[in-house]
Amino acid sequence: MKHVAITETTFTGDTNSSSSARRRRRPIHRMLVSFSAAYFAGALVTDIVYWQMPDVLWERFSIWLILAGLVMAGLATVAYVIDLAGHRRIERPAWPRVVGYALAVLLSVVNAFVHSRDGYTAVVPSGLMLSALVVVVLLFTAWVGMALANRQRVGA
Amino acid sequence: MMRALKIARSAKLPRLAALLVTVAGLGLAGCDDHAGDPKVQIGANPELPALQQYLMPPMRVAKVVGWGEETPTVAQGLQVHALATGFEHPRSLYVLPNGDVLVVESNGPKAPISRPKDIITGWVQSFAGAKAKDANRITLLRANGDGAPELRTTFLDHLNSPFGVALVGHDLYVANTDAIVRYPYQDGQISITAAGTKLTDLPGGPIDHHWTKSLLASPDGSKLYVGVGSNSNIGENGIGAEYERAAIWEVDRASGAHRIFASGIRNPTGMQWEPETGKLWAIANERDEIGPDLVPDYLTSVRDGGFYGWPYSYYGQHLDPRIVPQRPDLVATAIAPDYALSSHVAPLGVAMYTGTDLPENYHGGAFVGEHGSWNRTPLNGYKVVFVPFSGGKPSGPAQDVVTGFLDANDHARGRPVGLAVDRRGGLLIADDVGNTVWRVSSSKPGAPPKPAS
Repeated sequence: MKHVAITETTFTGDTNSSSSARRRRRPIHRMLVSFSAAYFAGALVTDIVYWQMPDVLWERFSIWLILAGLVMAGLATVAYVIDLAGHRRIERPAWPRVVGYALAVLLSVVNAFVHSRDGYTAVVPSGLMLSALVVVVLLFTAWVGMALANRQRVGA
Repeated sequence: MMRALKIARSAKLPRLAALLVTVAGLGLAGCDDHAGDPKVQIGANPELPALQQYLMPPMRVAKVVGWGEETPTVAQGLQVHALATGFEHPRSLYVLPNGDVLVVESNGPKAPISRPKDIITGWVQSFAGAKAKDANRITLLRANGDGAPELRTTFLDHLNSPFGVALVGHDLYVANTDAIVRYPYQDGQISITAAGTKLTDLPGGPIDHHWTKSLLASPDGSKLYVGVGSNSNIGENGIGAEYERAAIWEVDRASGAHRIFASGIRNPTGMQWEPETGKLWAIANERDEIGPDLVPDYLTSVRDGGFYGWPYSYYGQHLDPRIVPQRPDLVATAIAPDYALSSHVAPLGVAMYTGTDLPENYHGGAFVGEHGSWNRTPLNGYKVVFVPFSGGKPSGPAQDVVTGFLDANDHARGRPVGLAVDRRGGLLIADDVGNTVWRVSSSKPGAPPKPAS
């Protein structure tokens, strides 16, 4: 109860310098998010290779990488919701990151369907474009998130 | 930067996220497309709509309910009864000279998982009974006068996903999925225990996407024609996996040597000699996932050396963008098939009617067993149709001959597959979901056709 009360009193300002933030352990979902981002980025690489050299092997790498990224995103969401609901490691969502990441995951879901088509058009052009867009969104989100963290030291 | 953060921290972004979710949801649901009338895709000049690429390919298989007390519905002047029931996935039929009927019970090898999609596809198709156990067996039926089988024996066992059968003299050939095997056969024999001799290998595993190998002997018995299906829908397993596939092979019966008789036929599941001209005709299953009305499956005469488009194009020069690199040199020579049966009907059996029992209008034409669609709404196929022939060519629209495989709720009582004409002129239909062999005959043998009761 006390913990909750502290959270609410510190919610208003930009200066979240309470010592409780530093005492909190690093949230698990952060690690899972990094994994999924790496998988999505890997899919962009294999898509580019397929585009240049259309061997089905690369297309298969891409779809499995996207699927692995989505599985990690699912696990990250579960970890995030648990942490958020229990106010254990996170007190409030950092909306720019949440929205940016959610957008990347949604685009990846669409991308998984596109990559499940048969033949060349599973990748070129829409699959490749979606893979690139996902990476751009993730990079932008990371940049916004870093700026946010530097300014406020908000954990999310 | 500051502005971005301010916007981000205001309450607008969660709403934006919700909007995006909604839009994405609509995008996925938006694939509910409307299929056109199959009638405009039957015959020599089918209407071919523009191709579309799906986000989520529609999968619609008919739930299996079985026949119960029901039987199929037949056209006027015909009657139908179950010749025998209780099979395990009967796929094709062959009638021996003494009238014995061979029922090939087979269900294909297990499909490998190479993409996440394969898991989903396998799961959905399991509802249609497509993943039942592979019996790998040929059962013999000997019918007596009233049509009920008086004898039922296991003719050949321990085969490897067999489909085609052909008898030349005393040599019985079975087309397993990976080889043609020859067995000695004596007239009247009801079971073969002798070991087979391999005539030639056929393209089999490890992928073996289209596993059925149809078989037809030349009239003089010197050659065997083998329908070898493609190893993919549209080349998604790599063009290397398609070596000597999507083709009709001509195998020399004496040496086992083969050549490609015709190519670019995605899945030639049945072949027959047209009785008037003596030309080779085949049914073929065309490609999926470019729309509910693409690409129509077909019945066509097969020219020696002919190329029929797959995978680069369909119906002549309609290019398929899913294949890169393209082959303009081949596409330029691509032959449009003679007769479209409409899209996704899945013709898996063909029989040229050379008997005399059925009413006159069926003489000389082709019956086609349409297994039925799995990726189209409304469902298409699930019936046996008749294509009239005149002068060695189709001469009119396909007529429904045997229907009722779907009930009023579009649930499958059965699905027709292989066809054969028995010695007394009845049309036999293998039903691989109802696990039955049906026999269609004139409702009054010898008398002029009258309305069925």
